[in-house]
Amino acid sequence: MTPLENELTALKAELASMWILVQSQLNKAKEAMVQYDKDLAREVLIKEKRVNSFELKIDRDCENIFALHCPVAIDLRFLLAALKINTNLERIGDIAAGIALYVVESSVNFDVAALEKTSLIRMYDEAINILMDTRTAFEKEDTVLARSIFKRDDVLDAINDNSPNIIAEIIKADINSLPEALYILSIIRKLERVGDQAKNIAEEIIFYIEAKILKHHESGNMQTPKEGE
Amino acid sequence: MDQRIGIRNTKSVLFKGLIIFFAFVITIPLIIVLLYIIKQGITQVNWHFLTHVPAPPGEKGGGIANALMGSLIMVVMASIVAVPIGMLAGIYLSENPRTKLAYYSGLCVDILQGVPSIVVGIVMYFWLVKPFGGFSAIAGSVALAIMMLPIIIRSTEQTLKLLPDSLKEAALSLGVPYHRVILKVLVPCGFAGILSGITLSIARIIGETAPLLFTALGNNYFSTNITGQMESLPHVIFTYATSPYDDWHDLAWGASFILLLFVLTLNIVTKLLTRKWKIQL
Amino acid sequence: MENTIVKAENYNSYFGDNHVVKDVNISINKNEVIAVMGPSGCGKTTFLRGINRMHELIPGATSKGKILLDGENVYDMNAIYVRYKIGMVFQRPNPFPNLSIYENVVAGYMLNGLKVSKADKDVIVERSLTSAALWKEVKDSLHKKGTFLSGGQQQRLCIARAIAMQPELILFDEPTSALDPISTSSVEALFHELKANYTLIIVTHNMQQAARVSDRTAFFYMGELVEFDDTKQMFTNPHDQRTQNYITGRFS
Repeated sequence: MTPLENELTALKAELASMWILVQSQLNKAKEAMVQYDKDLAREVLIKEKRVNSFELKIDRDCENIFALHCPVAIDLRFLLAALKINTNLERIGDIAAGIALYVVESSVNFDVAALEKTSLIRMYDEAINILMDTRTAFEKEDTVLARSIFKRDDVLDAINDNSPNIIAEIIKADINSLPEALYILSIIRKLERVGDQAKNIAEEIIFYIEAKILKHHESGNMQTPKEGE
Repeated sequence: MDQRIGIRNTKSVLFKGLIIFFAFVITIPLIIVLLYIIKQGITQVNWHFLTHVPAPPGEKGGGIANALMGSLIMVVMASIVAVPIGMLAGIYLSENPRTKLAYYSGLCVDILQGVPSIVVGIVMYFWLVKPFGGFSAIAGSVALAIMMLPIIIRSTEQTLKLLPDSLKEAALSLGVPYHRVILKVLVPCGFAGILSGITLSIARIIGETAPLLFTALGNNYFSTNITGQMESLPHVIFTYATSPYDDWHDLAWGASFILLLFVLTLNIVTKLLTRKWKIQL
Repeated sequence: MENTIVKAENYNSYFGDNHVVKDVNISINKNEVIAVMGPSGCGKTTFLRGINRMHELIPGATSKGKILLDGENVYDMNAIYVRYKIGMVFQRPNPFPNLSIYENVVAGYMLNGLKVSKADKDVIVERSLTSAALWKEVKDSLHKKGTFLSGGQQQRLCIARAIAMQPELILFDEPTSALDPISTSSVEALFHELKANYTLIIVTHNMQQAARVSDRTAFFYMGELVEFDDTKQMFTNPHDQRTQNYITGRFS
């Protein structure tokens, strides 16, 4: 294996590690939210620093590979995608930390019934699955799996769109549940952004493997290739 | 313009024809000489001719054995002197082309090449014949060596100059001392060129008569004594061709044929050797 | 430092009155791959040749200052011995055309008149050709002349010839500029393998090559050593503006 191939393999492994870390952050934050476990939430906040330093390291490694090896073609696309996926993962990490922060700051635990009505748990599970699948698509270079992400993100978007009405009802039913309901609304918004970030990751994966750009197009559309294919 | 092109084409064709014609023309003198000598001389050559000394005038038979031996001895002796000196001088000139010494000695070599062979003979007479009281094969060899030197020196120098510098650098970078770089790398790589210079110089001197007239003279008897007079092929041709005896005229033709054969063979062998042993650089 | 193998102290080189290498101070460690880069005429090759005293073979070439090899100044040592201890590979592959591949590899021993038994020679030839990644390709034609190999193979043969002498330090003077891209890659792959046992100093005018193969890079400009740093640092954020101008192609 050439030195460049070694570096790229190492970079892939680093990204995979970051992915696993971010996945576990998201899972822990969910557990903390459902169980109202402030200690678990604090763990998430502490681990957030690791996510940030991962991002810095991967950025620096990409810069070094660009400088020393001047990669082209698929290697170049991989590095460009890696830089963006890096940023997307870091933002998902931020979101997980944000959710954990709510758990730490909230004075009451979240009402299970409210969580059900808004489909928050379902949304959260789907978001976690989507994230897991982006990692699988990346490691196995599976563009079919990557493309499936777009439709699944629509589910998250739908839940998000419905949530203001449901939250409004919950608040009308019991005005005391206002702070809790607002937290739930915020978490739903955050999870919708997780879906968006995952969609971006999927677009980058397809770009790097097929050189097709799917950004800024309707989800699910197979659009024009970048350079004549 | 069409007209001019027509005229130009004609001129081109004429020119081509002219140069081809002259290329043929130059082979004619050689062919004529060869054919004539072969015709006159080949009948003389037989085993007896090659192994016997000349018969006294009036008697038939005889041969050129003494001349063959004499030429051989003197050529070998001349080579023993000229080849090492010539090669070393050639090596110096190729290695140090820009020194004053190289310039002046190179000049001397070129001048020496132009010195008439008879003048060399006369000078040798005064140096090596008169002081020692007699003609000798040694004096003859020295005269011949002096004539070989310029050819060997220049061909060694040219051959080595053609070798790429990278060859020398490769050897030097391995920590090989200078004398070994020359003797074990450059000379072996230039072997074909240097050898052809040597064989050409031999082909040159084997037919030189004038210097031998004043140094080795001739000898009717078979002799291997290098301090005395010795016969040689060109001298024997001169002696017999200018003599009044018909038998000796025949001997002269035979000797001419043999001499020609040697020169031709040397030239052809040189060409073959060069081709076979030429190191692909 | 214990680990330093070559050190230049106030080293200067001249061609007659022409001051070609100006006051170079540099320290190179064992088992490093050092690239020396710079525009044409910057003195990088002259500096390299000063290390194994090939520079002074050119008429009119002189130098001042010290170059220490394992602590000893090469200019106080016997020049021929210095060249014997340091290996060199040149820009144009130059195997000896009158020697076979086998003889080329052991040429350093044979030309120096060193007595080596046939068995030892066989070992040296196999070991050197293997280190040069050439053994498999030529093991059945060791008796053939070296000049029948391709350019890349000839260059690897020259590398094997240098390695056979077991030098600690090998100097490369633009070793791949006469080779096609695939041969270049094979020679560059070799640098990574040779690093384990040797220290390499590679002069190159191809800065991408310098970036790919070296641990540290020296940038020469107009005879001066402008910058000498980790390759990663040099190519992501060099300290000197001249270095930056050179690697970004702002001037040739």
